[in-house]
Amino acid sequence: MKIEMETRGLNFYYVGGVHALKDVTLPIYKNSVTALIGPSGCGKTTLLRCFNRMHDLYPGNRYEGEIIFEGTNILSNDIDLIELRSRIGMVFQKPTPFPMSIFDNVAYGLRLNGVKKKPDLAERVELALRQAALWQEVKDKLLESAYALSGGQQQRLVIARALAVEPDVILFDEPTSALDPISTAKIEELLEQLKKSVTIIIVTHNLQQAARVSDRTGFLMLGELIEFDATEAMFTAPNVKLTVDYVTGRFG
Amino acid sequence: MTRARMRKLESVGALALCSLAAFAGLFWLVFILGDVLVHGIKALHLHLFFKDPVPPGMQGGGLRNAFVGQLLITFAATIIGVPMGILGGTFLAEYARGKWMARIISVLSDIMVSVPSIVIGTFIYALMVRPFGHFNGWAGAVALAIIMVPVVVRTTESMLTLVPWTLREAAFALGAPYYKVITQVVYRGAAAGILTGVLLSIARVAGETAPLLFTSFNNNFFSTDMNGPIASLTVTIFQYAMGPYEDWHRQAWAASFIIALFILVITIIGRTIVKMRYDKG
Repeated sequence: MKIEMETRGLNFYYVGGVHALKDVTLPIYKNSVTALIGPSGCGKTTLLRCFNRMHDLYPGNRYEGEIIFEGTNILSNDIDLIELRSRIGMVFQKPTPFPMSIFDNVAYGLRLNGVKKKPDLAERVELALRQAALWQEVKDKLLESAYALSGGQQQRLVIARALAVEPDVILFDEPTSALDPISTAKIEELLEQLKKSVTIIIVTHNLQQAARVSDRTGFLMLGELIEFDATEAMFTAPNVKLTVDYVTGRFG
Repeated sequence: MTRARMRKLESVGALALCSLAAFAGLFWLVFILGDVLVHGIKALHLHLFFKDPVPPGMQGGGLRNAFVGQLLITFAATIIGVPMGILGGTFLAEYARGKWMARIISVLSDIMVSVPSIVIGTFIYALMVRPFGHFNGWAGAVALAIIMVPVVVRTTESMLTLVPWTLREAAFALGAPYYKVITQVVYRGAAAGILTGVLLSIARVAGETAPLLFTSFNNNFFSTDMNGPIASLTVTIFQYAMGPYEDWHRQAWAASFIIALFILVITIIGRTIVKMRYDKG
């Protein structure tokens, strides 16, 4: 299998010097779902936010090591963050629709990328909404406010928004923790579909979810990557004692 | 006396005191507004809006010059003050968020809000009236704009701060540069609040007299020349109310009524926008 991204000896320090990631080396395989699990504060979200350099929004944060994406280290200073982030999308814990219409939400990234013609926009918005399994529900109210949608629909809307720009990778930060079980099931089904076209990294608190949706799982604790393996192996026959304890629910 | 009875008595006593205080405050408010209403409506006449003043002591005439002058000055003040205020508030809430400089400017803005407006009037007098040797409308507009700026800065700042940070992150995550995040996403989220701040700042300056006395002064003739002295409702009210003629007093009442009504309407629009926003969720 092809590797899409890879961290090599990644260390991360929050402003003030907190050492949040310690020497993490982790391959992310193309067209697969990689889950990051671990107890609260273990650094899984911190790791996820390294992949699109979200930490750069806050001055004082510092990376060490490398994240290789298409042969270049995206942690180097001459990386264009705007371009990087249009290649690597992100979906957050709480749905983040913009205060505009459903159509404009999905078109937002396209317009940023210079797609201006109405028919092109309409076509790609529809495609993205279909990919996010939302088209049938919203096709008659594209010009209505995105805030009128339910939480689960909003989450699929922001997935559509991320998909519209045809990214290579999408980062999911606990995308279902604010949703009801039915909406959660829909999103999980969606992930299965999406991995045909994009590489997915998902942070989740829910071990069953990691077992259901992911192909590979990384277990983090106190900023260290304890174990990384195929999901099935991680949940049935992990090599490290800590992993056994965690996936069997002995702590968490 | 039982404990419960005692508590009940205390409760009734506290309620009575609160009600009394509220009533005392409301009494004067209703008194003032009622007086303006009664005298103002009596004095209302179409001539007020379409005729200019007649020579002192003569009957009739209107305040067309003052209405037009007031609108011109307020409009110019809005054009000058609102963009400054919104950009300033944006700087505080976005680019300087959490920095000591932002905190200092915020505190200074709060102080500016309560600086006596006559101080701003004299300040602009020194800056924009003395050097030219005559009163002028622009000076009045700038004085009012200076009063508006801190109001708009503070409301803009707090409205932008209310927009959830994750919304900005979501826009950044799509590869948007900061200025687009602000103008396309954050401003939309805060639009109703900012608009309310703007309306309230207009309402705030619409009733100002002191800063205009030293700047645009007054003009008994119809003029739209912002480079010369120009009439305004508030200064005219001041002048007419102090004057010896019954007809002047009548017109001052009418003008007071109109200006109170204008501020009331703007405030109601502002509040309604806020309410609509929160009803929507």
